[in-house]
Amino acid sequence: MSDGLSSRRGFLASSAVLAGTALAGCSGGTASSSDTVTLGILEDRSGNFALVGDPKHKASLLAIEEINADGGIMGNEIEVFDPDPQSDNQRYQELTDRAIRQENVDALWAGYSSATREAIRPIINRNEQLYFYTTQYEGGVCDKTTFAVGPTARQQLGTVLPYLREEFGPDIYTIAADYNFGQLSADWVKVLANENDANVLGEEFIPLSETDFSSTINNIQEADPDFVMSMLVGANHTSFYEQKASAGLDIPIGTSTAMAQGYEHRRISPPAMANIYAGVNYMEEVPTESNTNDGGFVDRYFDMYPDAPYLNEEAETNYFSMYMYKEAVEQAGTFEQPEVIEALESGISLGTERAPEAPEGQTIELDGATHHVDHHMWVMKADEDHNIEAVENRKVPETFLSETVGCDLREEAEQTQYTPVDYYQEAK
Amino acid sequence: MVNGVNLFFQFLDSFGFIVLSAIGLAIIFGMMGVINLAHGELIMIGAYGTTLSFNAGAPLLLAMAVGVISAAAAGLVIERTIVKRLYQRPLDSMVATWALGLAMTQMVRIIFGNSLSGIGLPLGAIQYGQFSYSMYRTLLSVVALVVLLGAYVVFTRTEFGIRARATIQDDDTARAMGIDTDRMYTATFVIGCALAGLTGALYAPALAVVPGMGSSFLVEAFVAVVTGGTSVLLGTTLAAGVLGTANAFFTNLYGTFIGQVAMLIVAILILRFLPTGLSGVVETVRGQMERES
Amino acid sequence: MSEHSLIDRFRGRFEGPNTIGNSRGFWVGFAVALAVAFAYPIFVSNYQAGNLALFLIYAILALSLSVVWGYSGVLSFGQVVFFGFAGYTFGIVTLNIQSTVGIMMAIPIAVGVATLVAFTLGYFMFYGKVTGVFVAIITLVSTIVLQTFMAQTAGSEWAIGKAQLGGFNGMPGIPNIALGVGETSVAFSGKLFYWLCLVLLVLSYFGLRALTNGRFGYAMVGVREDEDRVEMLGYDIRKVKLTVFTVGGAIAGLAGVLYAAWGNYIDPTVFSLTFATFPVIWVTVGGRESLLGAVLATVSLEWFRQQLAITGSEYALVVVGLLLLVVVLVLPDGIVPYVHEKAVSAYREYNDEVDRSVGSSTEEEIPE
Repeated sequence: MSDGLSSRRGFLASSAVLAGTALAGCSGGTASSSDTVTLGILEDRSGNFALVGDPKHKASLLAIEEINADGGIMGNEIEVFDPDPQSDNQRYQELTDRAIRQENVDALWAGYSSATREAIRPIINRNEQLYFYTTQYEGGVCDKTTFAVGPTARQQLGTVLPYLREEFGPDIYTIAADYNFGQLSADWVKVLANENDANVLGEEFIPLSETDFSSTINNIQEADPDFVMSMLVGANHTSFYEQKASAGLDIPIGTSTAMAQGYEHRRISPPAMANIYAGVNYMEEVPTESNTNDGGFVDRYFDMYPDAPYLNEEAETNYFSMYMYKEAVEQAGTFEQPEVIEALESGISLGTERAPEAPEGQTIELDGATHHVDHHMWVMKADEDHNIEAVENRKVPETFLSETVGCDLREEAEQTQYTPVDYYQEAK
Repeated sequence: MVNGVNLFFQFLDSFGFIVLSAIGLAIIFGMMGVINLAHGELIMIGAYGTTLSFNAGAPLLLAMAVGVISAAAAGLVIERTIVKRLYQRPLDSMVATWALGLAMTQMVRIIFGNSLSGIGLPLGAIQYGQFSYSMYRTLLSVVALVVLLGAYVVFTRTEFGIRARATIQDDDTARAMGIDTDRMYTATFVIGCALAGLTGALYAPALAVVPGMGSSFLVEAFVAVVTGGTSVLLGTTLAAGVLGTANAFFTNLYGTFIGQVAMLIVAILILRFLPTGLSGVVETVRGQMERES
Repeated sequence: MSEHSLIDRFRGRFEGPNTIGNSRGFWVGFAVALAVAFAYPIFVSNYQAGNLALFLIYAILALSLSVVWGYSGVLSFGQVVFFGFAGYTFGIVTLNIQSTVGIMMAIPIAVGVATLVAFTLGYFMFYGKVTGVFVAIITLVSTIVLQTFMAQTAGSEWAIGKAQLGGFNGMPGIPNIALGVGETSVAFSGKLFYWLCLVLLVLSYFGLRALTNGRFGYAMVGVREDEDRVEMLGYDIRKVKLTVFTVGGAIAGLAGVLYAAWGNYIDPTVFSLTFATFPVIWVTVGGRESLLGAVLATVSLEWFRQQLAITGSEYALVVVGLLLLVVVLVLPDGIVPYVHEKAVSAYREYNDEVDRSVGSSTEEEIPE
């Protein structure tokens, strides 16, 4: 239709574009005024990872509220930029970019999955943004501005595997989610088996979308191990525990992922999670005084969020890392990120008050060289009624980067992720 | 190592899963040309209805009935408001129902939170040698067959069924003969949704009950419906049979990942080389045999 | 209107009944909008320019679907397959040949790979007489297969040369687009990158306008409207569909390259069911049969979704879902054609009024 009528339409088109661009430009950022500091908290509150991401968000906000009630950081009140990335890595990239360049956050907490971390790390690195990654992960990230303060696979598996080997015997069967975290964790199982005089009879990798574990259960029965190491991830994989119980498969299972993050022991009927041993730095049931006492961490969390279903592993990491940040800023005397990073690299330790994973009188340390944390680890066992009992606990330092790889970010700024296959024959 | 008995149970499991995932979608698509991408969410509603009633104290079978009814009710509302404008517009119905599904998932998340306490799997295990298999999941494959049989009986032997098929085949003539075609379409859609709800109810004890759970069913349902072809019931059965075999066989040999990919590749090959679907092939063969006799 | 000036010849190539906007008024408005778009980065920060650049990249992806679906009736969920292939190829080549030369080589190679994949998939489908919904299903299943496959390529054995595929964690470290050699090379980031994307979007748009308004365009539309008749007229519809599908693949590939360079990263979520549906949503809302509609809808919808995500409201996804639902139900041809219709009828009424009051002497000649 080539007539003058289209001119009206043409102008409609151009004004739409105009309005669009003007609006896009007008979504202004909050400029931090001189007595506030803006922190970015990007955690999933919808989408696939909402179940595990929501407690992280809540715990960060709890820490911030406590700090603000106490006068803030160096007298500055903390303000939060906390949009919902919707478990979408694309969103994470956009929002991270915005957090850094528009909202000018002084520090950033972002992401549940390793994939998210890797998606935003280029943006983080480009802008040399101080970044706390708080989820348990496969380990190995040696990055100048990234502080991966959650427990690593080596720390978690390295706590529970030796215990189970002692208790039950040397034969292991590994089942893991079929992606980086699962595969690298399985590599660590092989390394740890070697170090603990155990054998891995077989490994099985299951796609994240799979909900039918009948063949896996049959494979376990055929291999007949002494115990199983499970690094299954996500809501779909939860069905494994149901199905194994229903099939009468009664074998002890060591895990770094079940119960502590997605509270399966609360959601699935007993006795599906019986004889599951979680190797974690924290779970809601961790029996330290600062955690379970009246007015302790659990109480404070549920006071603020009475409808929350569970206080999970990563939430505690979000919580204590906020306090680590506060200490580092106070030590550095400024919010400028390079100075704060330097303060963090001098090594920060937190007592049980701020890090409820540590028992009375004990501490956890941020290792300045590797930007990882020497955690206090627990082996938490679920019984037939899904009551959780702590059967072992000890301090487990981070060793892969500090001892095996020799990553020292105080000497040399890097932005790499190291994997066990490059350092251990048995991981191949 | 392909252990025959294992393979058999795994096949039954896969077969049952595919049939139950697909049957609701197949009826709606086959009968009305509507592609209901909110199918997964209707399954989710069935699961939620079941789990919520069970947690409130209802016995399992009653809770499942509640699940089915919830999904059917949701289906009724959806049909009256949205779907009836989209008949014979398969592509538009895809987009509209996908959008609806998105909104539904999030609404459920907002109202009920990120997960519900689950129902345990009843009935224990079947033991054979060193292996065992969940009795309940094996039973589901039987239920799947019963559902197929039931649908067959309803659509071929009952008054309602015959009228429904008449409407689908030629709705002008049907209307001329006094059939209320609007009611027929609504009823068929509701039945499809009720079946989806049944799937959700049946699988609720076996899976994590989360708002996004529908997506685990959607791909298999879709693929089965389309490879099944024009005849709804025959197609679904054949598709579940072929795809289930591919899945079970390759999983047994090479692991779950290969099993899934193999199943999808088989589906693509069927779509490419058998344009009328599996049931189309059967019809053709049957036609040829009749001609020869 | 009988002089064959340069402008008229230009307009002749890009105008026709298959695209909206063929009057002088339209082109003036278009030029104004384009000028604004070019001027945008001057007034905003690097971040905002980079942010809008992402939406422009999506718009190119939308164009690839618009020409395949809107103009030839082939609903493909597979545009993201070509998008992803190109992105990954770009990453693989640039990580292996780490220089500007490598980057410049990577762009045509990546687009070439995407085109080849589109050609292969298209051949497989159209020469097998697969049509309609089944094309949609096959393309949908392909994306899922790719996602499942790529998500498990985490081990170090999954590497092509120096480039690790990275599995679920994706492939980081992809460089920005850069042109030139050695000292004279220019890297495209921030505002420069925005301009690059805008230029490529405009070129794609005009390229497709020419295609749809030319002889081939009529064949495309014919295939969409009535395949059998077009076949009887002597066209090989399989060839038509395959050609369009391949062109769509190339354009999606171009978008994929830009995308990988935008985030310096790519991962298997580009093959996910959700992302595969987005182009369908964008094109549906914008108007299936309108190239411009696809572009406008993409930019607006993505901007809108981003704003919702920033608010952190838990209703964000509900709003998006309901909005789409309403658009499909109420405006099945999309927003832009609807707006066009309204504008047309409004203008006609206005014209009639003027004629009635003034008399017929000033009747404007309406060129066809």
